[in-house]
Amino acid sequence: MGDLVSNLSLGFGVALSLQNLGLAFLGCLVGTLIGVLPGVGPIATIAMLLPITFGLDPVGALIMLAGIYYGAQYGGSTTAILVNIPGEATSVVTALDGHEMAKQGRAGVALGIAAIGSFFAGTVATLVIAALGAPLTGLALIFGPTEYFSLMVMGLVFAVVLARGSILKAVAMILVGVLLSTVGTDLETGEERMTFGLPFLADGIDFAVLAMGIFGIAEIMRNLDHTEHRDVVRQAIGRLLPNKEDFKQSYKPVLRGTFIGAVLGILPGNGAVLGPFATYTLEKKLAKDPRRFGRGAIEGVAGPESANNAGAQTSFIPLLTLGIPPNAVMALMVGAMTIHGIIPGPQVMTKNPTLFWGMIASMWVGNLMLLVINLPMIGLWVRLLKVPYRLLFPAILMFCCIGIYSINSLPTDVMFIGLFGLCGYMLIKFGFEPAPMLLGFVLGRLMEENLRRALIISRGSLETFIERPISAGLLAVAAILLVIALLPSIRKGRDEVFTE
Amino acid sequence: MSVLHEGSEPPRHRGTVRAPQSLAGGLFLIALAALALWLTRDLSQGTLNAMGPAMLPRWLAVGVGLSGLALLAFAFLKDGDRLERWSLRGPVFVIGAILAFAVTIRGYAFGPLVIPGLGMLVAGPLAIILGGFATPEARLRDLVILALSLTPFCMVLFGDLLNLPIPVFPQALTGLFPADWSQKAVLRATAAIMAVAAVLVFLTTRGRRRASIDIADHSGRI
Repeated sequence: MGDLVSNLSLGFGVALSLQNLGLAFLGCLVGTLIGVLPGVGPIATIAMLLPITFGLDPVGALIMLAGIYYGAQYGGSTTAILVNIPGEATSVVTALDGHEMAKQGRAGVALGIAAIGSFFAGTVATLVIAALGAPLTGLALIFGPTEYFSLMVMGLVFAVVLARGSILKAVAMILVGVLLSTVGTDLETGEERMTFGLPFLADGIDFAVLAMGIFGIAEIMRNLDHTEHRDVVRQAIGRLLPNKEDFKQSYKPVLRGTFIGAVLGILPGNGAVLGPFATYTLEKKLAKDPRRFGRGAIEGVAGPESANNAGAQTSFIPLLTLGIPPNAVMALMVGAMTIHGIIPGPQVMTKNPTLFWGMIASMWVGNLMLLVINLPMIGLWVRLLKVPYRLLFPAILMFCCIGIYSINSLPTDVMFIGLFGLCGYMLIKFGFEPAPMLLGFVLGRLMEENLRRALIISRGSLETFIERPISAGLLAVAAILLVIALLPSIRKGRDEVFTE
Repeated sequence: MSVLHEGSEPPRHRGTVRAPQSLAGGLFLIALAALALWLTRDLSQGTLNAMGPAMLPRWLAVGVGLSGLALLAFAFLKDGDRLERWSLRGPVFVIGAILAFAVTIRGYAFGPLVIPGLGMLVAGPLAIILGGFATPEARLRDLVILALSLTPFCMVLFGDLLNLPIPVFPQALTGLFPADWSQKAVLRATAAIMAVAAVLVFLTTRGRRRASIDIADHSGRI
């Protein structure tokens, strides 16, 4: 406990310096600004804004990136409530009741409770990270390549189970993602694989390029096909602060949402996505009158929003302690860290304590900033939401081009976001979900490395994966999950959860 | 967005193909697997003890191919979704804009054809205006104003404030300014000229705007 306090005070010492406070503020502000644009999710936002952190020192850059992430996340919820366009999977649920509340002239209360719930969840999640960081890092030290490989397999199985739609298609997407990660020079033998002899592919496909193509460009093309009605609420936003009655209705959902979100967020394989869905279903089951849900129930906003934010934050845990990014956003963080010369993993905490604890403390600061920025600035966001898409997307397009060019100064990178955008657009049209592919891509290289090492240690025997107890346990969990997901009765339930 | 329209029933089977979307997806995966297998044909497989460069890609390609075959089989056995509506206009203009940006930002040589490096000054507006036409609702005037105001903003933000190594304007441009001006001064002056041009276009073509924009705005479409 004493450790926790001293570590946190070290962290706050870093995070509360004037420069880092300013960076956190700026990050939250630009993150919200871009994230609030309809059709731009956190991944595209971070990829677009990555270059603006290049000139900073590593601590400042990561603090700003974390701020951008929270801002983008909160911006997505704002769009969900005000326009009924969820920027990404985790704010789908918020749109259900949040937009109904907005239609009843209670948009301000919905946004207010979302911000307050998120802040509370963020505070708790920060403490969870600080408390679990050290023990989990210890765990990482007893993990060998065999265990790492099995853990990543489990993460990918999670991603399959949590993906929307057909399981077969999700499996295919994961395999394609891992396959894409093998493009480039083979680390052991130095031979080039699947590079078409092109020199810029020798280092493999750049993650930011792939992510920007699939989540930025493909999304633009898809949005252009759907000339959908954007009903920005015409009603007044109303008062922002929830009254006593609202608080009474929502404090329990906030507590439950925080707990569920924080627990699910730690799971590898994008468990954070499940948080809001699980919370919404639970609140509906617990409510005295479930019919209120879908018609503007404040619990339907408070719970999922807290779960969303708690999960967003605890998903930093696998990255910071084990060095394994649990979802695409964290994978971008890996990219950002490597650009600044930091290799994520258990050694960050011991070798670079100011960075580790500073970042954790800045998470709490970032959450406070969101509360401070968002509530008074809602008027601006509403105006931004009214910009027609025909003017919005050319601007997004140019920002994507500039952003990706400035990462490596390669015109070919810009061309590749076009190519991957086209591929992503086709995949969407064929009914595939691109998120699992990105996760497969991220984990692919780590998996190959660890698989090779594990097999060298075991002299080519695959049995090592079931002989070592931890590895066997992880694989068993993965197998059980997959079987459960394939059982017909559960599959129906899963479909219901996702269509709700 | 896509999760919300779950109400549409999958169409009952017409003809032998019962799920065209799965059919197309399956073919796509098989093609991808075949490409990967063909590209790794010359690499050694190695043994489990010492894995060669081709082992993992080949296994994965086989996995992708099998998933593709399974999807293909399901397309004839189970009813599924139809292919969504396609449009060519969106992808063509968006890709065109990206390519235009890529070849003009630093210059590019296609064999004998050499495009000079024109920097953000040209590449930005090119991407905005070309890309803007991806939607049938595009209006040249609005796009020109957007390009003329957003480009100087980006020039100042990325080139001046953040000092990113991105070409901002063609070198020939410095010749137009007094010789003792620094790069930064030229950048700022160019940005200011563009911003003023944006305001001028906005003000001079204002009268015509009102008539047209009202109609579009009331449709409430994106």
